[in-house]
This record gives sequence, C-alpha cells and structure tokens, in this order.
Amino acid sequence: MILSTLQFAAGSLTKSMIVSSKHCTILPYLKHTSFRDIHITSNIMKQFRMGNQKIRVVEEKRDVIMPGEDTITISESDSKKLFPDASTPYQMFDGKAYNQLDIVNVKSTPNNTIMSLTDYRGRKGIMLRSAGVEGFKNTRKGTNIAAQQTAVTLGRRMLENGFRTVRLRIQGIGPGRMGAIKGFQLAGVNIVSITDDTRVSYNPPRPRKQRRI
Amino acid sequence: MGMFKHAQFLSRTVMVQNNNVEKANRLLNSILSKEGIFEQYRRTRYYEKPTQTRRRINYEKCKAIYCEDMTRKIQFILRKNRENPFPGSE
Repeated sequence: MILSTLQFAAGSLTKSMIVSSKHCTILPYLKHTSFRDIHITSNIMKQFRMGNQKIRVVEEKRDVIMPGEDTITISESDSKKLFPDASTPYQMFDGKAYNQLDIVNVKSTPNNTIMSLTDYRGRKGIMLRSAGVEGFKNTRKGTNIAAQQTAVTLGRRMLENGFRTVRLRIQGIGPGRMGAIKGFQLAGVNIVSITDDTRVSYNPPRPRKQRRI
Repeated sequence: MGMFKHAQFLSRTVMVQNNNVEKANRLLNSILSKEGIFEQYRRTRYYEKPTQTRRRINYEKCKAIYCEDMTRKIQFILRKNRENPFPGSE
C-alpha cells in the first residue's frame, strides 16, 4: 500500500512537470479538485450575480490567441539576417532597395479586415480591399476565412499589375491577421518582411468603459 | 500609423527567410507576446477600474511568489545528480 502511495506521489510529480510548460507550475491536484454537483442546472448554463454583473460559470471566449504566442521559437543563426539593421534599408530585393518597396497594410479588427497597397512612403494608396468589399457581410467579415479570401483576391490583382515584391505591415490583433498572411502567400506575392504596427500605449487616454454582456 | 517615422520597418520587424512567411510571423508573435505588447494592447481596449487594477496586481504578486517557490521545489526534486530520480517509484 505504501508503495502504491509513493507511486501516486511520484506520478503526480511527473504530471506537474508536464504542466509546467508556461510561466509557472500549478500542481494537478489543485487544478482538478472535483466537487459533487447538487444543483440541477448544467454547469455550462449556470449564472450568478456579482454586484451588478451577471457572470457565467464557464468563462467567456477569450481574445484571439495568435499562433506562436504561447510557444518559444528559437531562431537558428542563419547566414541571412533575421532582423533589420542599419544596412537593411539599402539592401536590394527584386531590383529595388528595401526602403523603396511598396507596402501592404493590413488592419485587422474584431469585425473586419482591411488591406491596402501603398507606395513606399505609405501616402499614395494604390489598391484597397476589405472583407466587406469581398462580399462578406456582418459577423462573417471578421473571420479568418474572409481575410484569407480577401488577401488572395488582392494578391492576384497586385500580381496582375506588377507589384510582385512587397513589405507587409500589420495593425491590430483580430482573427484576420493570420488569414491575411496566409492569403498573400497563397496568391504568390513575395513578402520581404513582416512588421507589426499595432498601436500600443503605456499611458493612454482613458479608454471606453467595459462592455456588459 | 502607430510607429514613429524613423523606426518604421526597423523595429518590430522580422525579415522573411526563404519565403517562409509563416515562420517569420510566428517568431514576430512570440516576441511581441514575450515583451507584453499584446497584453498591454488587450488591457487598454477597455477602461480598467481601480479596484480591478488592485485585484489584478495582487493576484499577479501572489502568482509570482507561488511560481517562484514551486519552481524551486521542483528543481530541487528533479535535480540531476542522483542515481535514481524518483526513489520509491519502482
């Protein structure tokens, strides 16, 4: 019996090792404490009031998690450069200097994805396409499928007009962010670099009040 | 756009290697999340009331202490200079 107890203890330890993937380790017995349900309502539907807020027992759908966000990617030391430096703006790509390449801007919001092609300064808009223009309406605009299809359409039009090599600038974290990148890749556009241009402030003006669902 | 002119396409930028856009994107995302940029962005979408801030800070403190101690304990148990890492489990 003692042996089995020890085995159990060791087993729980090994489990905790597996759990310790993220920032910290939470022992499994803390996570899976089971209580006997007495109420009739199913756990998923259960709601209760806290102050003047109605809270569901099962937590609401969280923000979109970007692929690669919760994993650590180790970059091998290639002969090529992975990050830009002082000489990158003058590096040649497809017969053009890096700072003269056209820019594809992607703005992905929770409800839509807007893509536009501009010149190297980002001033002169050349093409614009959004999931709404593509024919998706209402909630379907804000999906990754809509973004991907939009990106494929825009990418094909770009290739027809001779915009082969571009830089990508992405703004906002929405469901369309990943889909847009995939779409450009499928269309065959040569993407030289990916830049994140999300507006993030550490002392912002007061944001809007929280949504009450 | 959000970035200053001089830093555009220099900061928060990953060059694509061998046309492997997916990999570059994953690297960019992992860097942004490690630096806490995504977290800050998500937190500042809506106003966080002072009570919520206090609760969050307290929770983070407790979690950091717990994690530190737990990591230390696990490191101690799993230290490598023993012949049998799990005594009694055979």
